[in-house]
Amino acid sequence: MAQPLVKKDDDHDDELEYSPFMGIEKGAVLQEARVFNDPQLDPRKCSQVITKLLYLLNQGESFTKVEATEVFFSVTKLFQSKDTGLRRMVYLIIKELSPSADEVIIVTSSLMKDMNSKIDMYRANAIRVLCRIIDGTLLTQIERYLKQAIVDKNPVVSSAALVSGLHMLKTNPEIVKRWSNEVQEAVQSRAALVQFHALALLHQIRQNDRLAVSKLVGTLTRGAVRSPLAQCLLIRYTSQIIRDMGNHSQSGERPFYDFLESCLRHKAEMVILEAARAITELDGVTSRELTPAITVLQLFLSSPKPVLRFAAVRTLNKVAMTHPMAVTNCNIDMESLISDQNRSIATLAITTLLKTGNESSVERLMKQITNFMSDIADEFKIVVVEAIRSLCLKFPLKYRSLMNFLSNILREEGGFEYKRAIVDSIVTIIRDIPDAKENGLLHLCEFIEDCEFTYLSTQILHFLGIEGPNTSDPSKYIRYIYNRVHLENATVRAAAVCTLAKFGFMVEALKPRITVLLKRCIYDSDDEVRDRATLFLSVLANDGLVDTDKDSKEFLFGSLEAPLVNLETSLKNYEPSEEAFDVDSVPKEVKSQPLADKKSKGKKPTGLGAPPPAPVSGFDAYERLLSSIPEFASFGKLFKSSPPVELTEAETEYSVNVVKHIFESHIVFQYNCTNTVPEQLLERVNVIVDASEAEEFSELSSKPLNSLPYDSPGQAFVAFEKPEGVSAVGKFSNTLTFIVKEVDQNTGEAEDDGVEDEYQLEDLEVVASDYMVNVGVSNFRNAWENMDPENELVDEYGLGPRESLAEAVKAVIETLGMQSCEGTETVASNARSHTCLLSGLYIGNVKVLVKAQFGMDSTKEIVMKLAVRADDPSVSDAIHAIVSCG
Amino acid sequence: MVSSTDYKFEILVSLSCRFNGVPAEERLHWRSFLVKLGAENLNRAKNEELLVASHKSVYIVYTVLGDVSIFVVGKDEYDELALSEAIFVITSAVKDVCGKLPTERLFLDKYGKICLCLDEIVWQGLLENTDKDRIKRLIRLKPPTEF
Repeated sequence: MAQPLVKKDDDHDDELEYSPFMGIEKGAVLQEARVFNDPQLDPRKCSQVITKLLYLLNQGESFTKVEATEVFFSVTKLFQSKDTGLRRMVYLIIKELSPSADEVIIVTSSLMKDMNSKIDMYRANAIRVLCRIIDGTLLTQIERYLKQAIVDKNPVVSSAALVSGLHMLKTNPEIVKRWSNEVQEAVQSRAALVQFHALALLHQIRQNDRLAVSKLVGTLTRGAVRSPLAQCLLIRYTSQIIRDMGNHSQSGERPFYDFLESCLRHKAEMVILEAARAITELDGVTSRELTPAITVLQLFLSSPKPVLRFAAVRTLNKVAMTHPMAVTNCNIDMESLISDQNRSIATLAITTLLKTGNESSVERLMKQITNFMSDIADEFKIVVVEAIRSLCLKFPLKYRSLMNFLSNILREEGGFEYKRAIVDSIVTIIRDIPDAKENGLLHLCEFIEDCEFTYLSTQILHFLGIEGPNTSDPSKYIRYIYNRVHLENATVRAAAVCTLAKFGFMVEALKPRITVLLKRCIYDSDDEVRDRATLFLSVLANDGLVDTDKDSKEFLFGSLEAPLVNLETSLKNYEPSEEAFDVDSVPKEVKSQPLADKKSKGKKPTGLGAPPPAPVSGFDAYERLLSSIPEFASFGKLFKSSPPVELTEAETEYSVNVVKHIFESHIVFQYNCTNTVPEQLLERVNVIVDASEAEEFSELSSKPLNSLPYDSPGQAFVAFEKPEGVSAVGKFSNTLTFIVKEVDQNTGEAEDDGVEDEYQLEDLEVVASDYMVNVGVSNFRNAWENMDPENELVDEYGLGPRESLAEAVKAVIETLGMQSCEGTETVASNARSHTCLLSGLYIGNVKVLVKAQFGMDSTKEIVMKLAVRADDPSVSDAIHAIVSCG
Repeated sequence: MVSSTDYKFEILVSLSCRFNGVPAEERLHWRSFLVKLGAENLNRAKNEELLVASHKSVYIVYTVLGDVSIFVVGKDEYDELALSEAIFVITSAVKDVCGKLPTERLFLDKYGKICLCLDEIVWQGLLENTDKDRIKRLIRLKPPTEF
């Protein structure tokens, strides 16, 4: 049983306080409960026994079915007493005992009598108890009384009925929805809490009726809402409406913004913060809209109340992800929060600063964080590590100091999750910043010398095997790897053997020495380690076990062609027999995520957790998938795959998205289809594409999907030919055609006969940015200067009037589809000029760099000077053409 | 975790351990998490000083009142601000019932009344009453003074 948690105070130890519940025992209390059956009830005694029962229940004591029934029956006898104190206890204990359906009937008549009592408080409590214990059928019987209660003049009765409604809505929505007139009336109540509860219930009843919600909000934002709690609800509903409406207002003014802004001057802190939060979360919020909200949040940063500081810094932390420049004004306040006693606040402050800081403040910040790291818990440290990783990707030039910081904290004490976060960060940095590679690999090597986590050691060894051989001096890693063979457990030893073999294979000069090392491993005590060593020795010696050099390379470095999920399914379906399992029989088609996963899609892991060929949508996976389809195998190397573009609205019968695969002179549309109707099986699923608005494209072939069962995604493909190297653009309209067959829900069998049907999908566009891969460079200036200035092409463009420079910068980056470098995608709020640096790889693998200088005049007209350098001058032309068309 | 239940807002008063709506198998986890949180932070806190933390997707607002630690846990719309409103009601109701800062003994003596107060303040995860004077009357089944 749980121990009571009390503040231990030394003074109290001597005069040991006696607890009224000391030595309490279930059996004895149940015995005592017999007083409930006395003909002459003693209300005081009965209340005491109920208190003891409550104590037992709250301590987690469980009653057997028999015990609970017995107590419940005795408790019902207490309705005979007129003592109000006892009656109040009876209401509570009935709720806590939560009687079963067949027992409920015993108390319903007593409770229904109380529900019609003249005493208001009997009514309120009887409603609360009844709604807790009854089911739908009984609810219809008392519905009339509940509707009356909602508009009762006593606010306690009204609130009781409304809160009951909120609970019942989950179990009996169709009944509660019939009360909307009464609830509507209660929204106008003068009692603050009634209004709060009524508003919450009314919104829940009508949440799917956008018009009704919008009307409700429209009325209430003009009228007076009495309770701050209700006002907060109203703010939430308002922002929901703003989100639903999009930014389609005619006048350009955002509807309801004035209301949100006026809430910033409300007297309740809760309302102010809620409004500030709502404003910061508006879609496409402008800096003018943002400013007043940020100002109030800044004031709260120095509030004496921790809750307000927490709320403010938490909100600013979120803003910093999207509008880092807007938050910079708060940096000084935030820096003082680093020493806040509350570590949650301090961590939020640090991570916000990491997002808003500029390149020059990185070193200073890192110094502050170093002092801070030692006294926070692992969970906070992980947050900081993740923030540092993003900082490093934003300012690649600072990788040295950030990497040093990460390697220092890697050496300190910490749990698995924390260490994994650090290792993941180092791996991500190595992948994204080539200059950081050698340094980072050495840090990882040093870490595995003293790493207590097998998982991390094996992952790092695997990573070393891939990256290590391509470094300038691969031999320096061998010592670290070979040490593992001596000092670690079998799993790590086996991983080390693999890594050694990779070095031996890739670096000819090391081969003889690696062979010697591997030979020592064949005497290992573990059979897996011995097996691997023997196998790799044979591969390295090229003694005929594997045919060619290419095969050995494939064997060592190739990843499994089939997605792991498919392999798992095939293995599960394999029945042990004479016939060996054939790995080639595993389907290679990549299944997209089933519906359930898609909806609850969380943050994607990066770093080691997600090895480079991410099986679901990674570029490599696409490449393998396409090359496995004979029709497309001749298209050459895949240049780019776009992120999926949705062609259906959410929650439709069939959900379809498309991935555009760009080749040198072909383009393949991969339609990922999901059937969301359990009663249907779709067959011969094909997409008919009309390319009349895409003149340069001609359809080559299509690959329909044979069968599409419920909730099991599949892909159909359509391939087009286009002029080589040309960034042809156009619009395609799509229709899904298929044969639909009814599925018997009981047997799961589909009927034999089907009906042909079609389903209109949204149009799809191929745009210029589809021919650009956004690849970053670690040092823009060096890269820029290394390109031939002869090929530079400069031109000026008028971009017309815009709300802000940031908007124009964003639009240009999107049109070009290039990677912004050195954090130049963020524009200082109120800036009148800005330079944005972009890099990318254009079709034909041509490296392109862009310097875009923006300027805004007093009429908000924006001009842009665009300088492009590319290895191929025609590509510079093409970039300018994109901008002048876009 | 609270997040797996239907309820959006829980009151966990130590001693009374009202893990309302938290499945039994998760209570222990919550209990140890909160005990740790309290041990790390509450010993230097003043009475009724509000502390705040977040854990996974939930927020925790907690305080110390005499011998008693009070934790209020919520998620979604019951964020740190709504919770601080709730904990304010709870602390004032507890003080009211006990007549002064509660010692462990006093708190347990008034256990029944405190349960009634909590029953008035929160009902299965929804905030119901926020005024201590009204609550004081309601637990004796007396109607509120002003309508």
